Amino acid sequence: MMSASHTPEETKAALHNVVTEMYDKIVKGEPPTMTLPVRTKNNIGFDTKLGVYKYGKKRSIRDATSLGSAKQLLRALHVVEFIEEMIDARKSSTLREMYYISEGWGLGKFSSQNESNNLAEDLEVVTKCMREDFKLRPEEDGARIIGNLTLRELNRRGEWMRINARDDVGDSGYGVPYNVEEEKIELVEHDLNFIMAIETGGMFDRLIENGFDEAYKCGLVHLKGQPARSTRRILKRMSEEWDLPVVVFLDGDPWSFRIFASIAYGAIKTAHISEYLATPTATYLGITADDIEAYDLPNDDLSARDVEALKAELSDPRFADAWWQEQINMMLELGKKAEQQSLAKYGLDFVTDTYLPEKLAELGLA
Amino acid sequence: MAGTAERMAQNQKQVAISEFFEKNKHFLGFDSLVRSLITAVKEAVDNSLDACEEARILPDIRVKVTKIDDKKDIIELQTEDNGPGIPKRSIEKVFGQLLFGSRFHAIRQSRGQQGIGITGVVMYSQLTTGRKTHVRSKIATETSAAVVDIGLDTRKNKATKTNEDREIWELPDGSLKEHGLEITCRMKAKYQRGRQSVYQYLRMTSIVNPHADITFEDPDGEIHHWPRVTERLPRKVESIKPHPHGIHLGTLQRMCTEATDNRMTSFLYKNFSGVSTRAAKELLEAAEIDEKAKPKSMKPEQYRALLEAFMGERLLNGKAVKLLNPPTNCLSPIEELLIKKGLSKTIDSRFVTTMTRSPTVTQGNPFQVEVGLIFGEGMAADKPVEVLRFANRVPLMYQQGGCLLTKAIESVDWRQYGLDQAGGRGVPKGPAAILVHLASTNVQFTSEAKEALADNEEVLDEVRKAMLEMGRGLRKHLEKKKKMAKTQEKFELVNDIIPAIAAKSASILGRPVPDLAGSITKIMGAVIAESETVWNKETKQTDVTITLFNYTSRARAYTLLAAWPEKDGAVMEGNANGGRKEATGVWAWKLDTLEPGQTFVLSYSLSGLEKGDWTDTDVFYRGSQEVIGATKMDEKLLEEIRRQESVLADEDDEAAAEEAEDEDDLEDGEDDVKNTVAEEAAENDDPKPTGQQTLMGYGSDA
Repeated sequence: MMSASHTPEETKAALHNVVTEMYDKIVKGEPPTMTLPVRTKNNIGFDTKLGVYKYGKKRSIRDATSLGSAKQLLRALHVVEFIEEMIDARKSSTLREMYYISEGWGLGKFSSQNESNNLAEDLEVVTKCMREDFKLRPEEDGARIIGNLTLRELNRRGEWMRINARDDVGDSGYGVPYNVEEEKIELVEHDLNFIMAIETGGMFDRLIENGFDEAYKCGLVHLKGQPARSTRRILKRMSEEWDLPVVVFLDGDPWSFRIFASIAYGAIKTAHISEYLATPTATYLGITADDIEAYDLPNDDLSARDVEALKAELSDPRFADAWWQEQINMMLELGKKAEQQSLAKYGLDFVTDTYLPEKLAELGLA
Repeated sequence: MAGTAERMAQNQKQVAISEFFEKNKHFLGFDSLVRSLITAVKEAVDNSLDACEEARILPDIRVKVTKIDDKKDIIELQTEDNGPGIPKRSIEKVFGQLLFGSRFHAIRQSRGQQGIGITGVVMYSQLTTGRKTHVRSKIATETSAAVVDIGLDTRKNKATKTNEDREIWELPDGSLKEHGLEITCRMKAKYQRGRQSVYQYLRMTSIVNPHADITFEDPDGEIHHWPRVTERLPRKVESIKPHPHGIHLGTLQRMCTEATDNRMTSFLYKNFSGVSTRAAKELLEAAEIDEKAKPKSMKPEQYRALLEAFMGERLLNGKAVKLLNPPTNCLSPIEELLIKKGLSKTIDSRFVTTMTRSPTVTQGNPFQVEVGLIFGEGMAADKPVEVLRFANRVPLMYQQGGCLLTKAIESVDWRQYGLDQAGGRGVPKGPAAILVHLASTNVQFTSEAKEALADNEEVLDEVRKAMLEMGRGLRKHLEKKKKMAKTQEKFELVNDIIPAIAAKSASILGRPVPDLAGSITKIMGAVIAESETVWNKETKQTDVTITLFNYTSRARAYTLLAAWPEKDGAVMEGNANGGRKEATGVWAWKLDTLEPGQTFVLSYSLSGLEKGDWTDTDVFYRGSQEVIGATKMDEKLLEEIRRQESVLADEDDEAAAEEAEDEDDLEDGEDDVKNTVAEEAAENDDPKPTGQQTLMGYGSDA
């Protein structure tokens, strides 16, 4: 198993390279710069070796000739200094905490949290380190898992706890921590046929209440919308280490397509670490565009933003294959979208008795 | 036929005056309940302003509107001024007689060209509530005030007086009123807020009457105060005689029959403006009328011939008779600085540009156009700009769309000057207000309602020119603002951010802080000028600082120039760097060579100004490398300004010479009439400046 982490020394050295670039430019009498890959869909390409989408070769140079980018450089220096301090003090902070700490950075302070999150990602991309190496944690917690699987987690007292995600948890399931690397989580054993990732809490709870996990021997993962890194990482580990198929059950709209793409192929924003986060074998189960018609689901008209998003997806390399092109075009033609929970039109058990079995049968999983 | 006409005239006299009022209330301004109140306020306030102006008193005007009966729409209006007051015996004349006061033949700019004046208010009140108008008048020479209730006998067209008395007029602070007039009346009317309201009327009035202090208490008891912003009263306007170009046949006939002159030459010379003795003789020659003919014995065809000579349709030696333009001292423009102050006091904003065009003439009538534009915060950016129209200092509040002044605004493509305008036509949109003032001895309206100015090519052209020039000023301002913001960013970049990056990167790497000069020169690559103009409370002066930074890799030499309000009476103080005057309002300093990375600071103060008079200093330069934050001196423009100065100076001389000549010309030795007009154009080939030329607003269409 590959490991994502770097040693503190490796991390510091990588960060120092960023600082040295700026320093050397000033010594040479040039405006300081920071070189980083372009982070848009125009600069992601399929890595055949890794089976995921990664950043291409396009580089952009952020130089200090405008106030905006000069401030970005200064902020990067403050963040580097802050990370070094945390590494030395064996502390960690959330991205939000860092945003507030930046209040004390004078000219280098962030004007929005989005800005600080982006900068942390910039540094990851440039240094090829992960934010766990930087001791920065995301605010959002990871997913919930329910199913007959067992793992060991290193708790705060430094003891390994063995947890079965069916027998040792309450109704809310096992909560995925922000760090799911091997030094923190060990996958022990399971009695499952597949893993199912679910977009909404309502559907997750419906499947549990209906006993779907037991009936179909599957592990249920609640994504909570756009899945956090740790959620995608643990999906990837379960898929690889246990060799389990992963099916993804989402709403039927353009945004769900993007959630799936980030799970299966890698997200554009985190394409630098796609090989750690993406699960290329994941399958999109539904709601598909043709489900809306086939099951005559209650639906909503696509909004202008939806249409725009779908059109953007048509030119996104991650949706380049024939099946996705067909789905996207079909949804555009229909002009409709539908939620997972619209299946309730046919009763509370319809999803577990009819819809999912039919869809899983198509995949040979039921 | 004659008998019928006379009978009709007789009948007309017998029509009850109230009926006349009822029939014509739309153009008297009493056609709606809302407008009636505005008209009443307007008549009272205009009278007060006129009276104060005449008596050279700085007006303090108070207007109070009270709702008496909300259901029946009964409103009480009270206005008070500090004018000279009206002697007791004249009160009934002023308030009770239609068309009282306007003197035949007197041509000058006056407010009171509208409606039937305050009598209309008295009548409207009486017709709608049956109540008389209460007048209190105090003149300086008497110890007590006269009070009287004025009504109208509508059949006799005469005022009726009741409850005449005298009383001591005590002010709220216990002191005695020295002089002034107070009018209280009750009428059926509605008080409303908005674009057409008493509030808006008074606000607009205060803008064009910066010498007036106006207080308004609205029906909710809220007090609005527009303070006086200048102690300077408007110029006293002179009456002028009619000009031959603006005369009609009927008027000419009447003037001739009423004339007391013995000869046509002296009749023409004395009763018309723009006619010298030489011109009088030439006109008569062209019209084939004997110089010695008596005005009273003119024949109909002779009137016509004379009129043709006036209009240049009858020639003398193949040329039209040259007439002087009418004098323009009969006009009272508000003047740029005061418009600026007036606008600034009612609208909170950053940028104001104003311009007063030189007076000019249309159809024998002198007129002058003034415009102002205010731009900036505090006004809606997505709505049409506010159009403030005025004729002879009277706000025009209705019929905006049909007015010549609006059409002039609409004819300008404002998009090129930084305002939104769909298709480049119509009233532009943006956070701005545009003021247009037409001062004229004869304001032509589209209708009797007197709310919209009638089309007139020359006036339209003048307004348009003024608009274009203001537009250029606005564009320059916006460009400058943009440039300044950019420059400011660059300064922050090199002064704060780059040093911080150097220090922080050095400390992280544990290396020495590197020298920044190279990086900074690379980033800036420019020479930058910064100017600061601030009001100094302590010294009551305006302090100006101009800083020049050389952020290039080469030594640079410049001459810096700055605009300053010399025309407005400012005096330059503490100018330690010397320099010299380049033209009126333009000072120049030749600077020593500025080495790379070097900075030069130059400062001076301006005295003789008030706070807010001068808030921004335009900086110009001479030199090869561009200076960000300054404008390259346009030498042609400077030359033009210098040339105009000399033309104006010459004209003053000529005017004086001409005056002396005219006095020699007087045949009868009478000197009650003076023609103090410069004989322009005829003898002077230099074109007269068409507007005030300034460095920032150049009056050409270039």
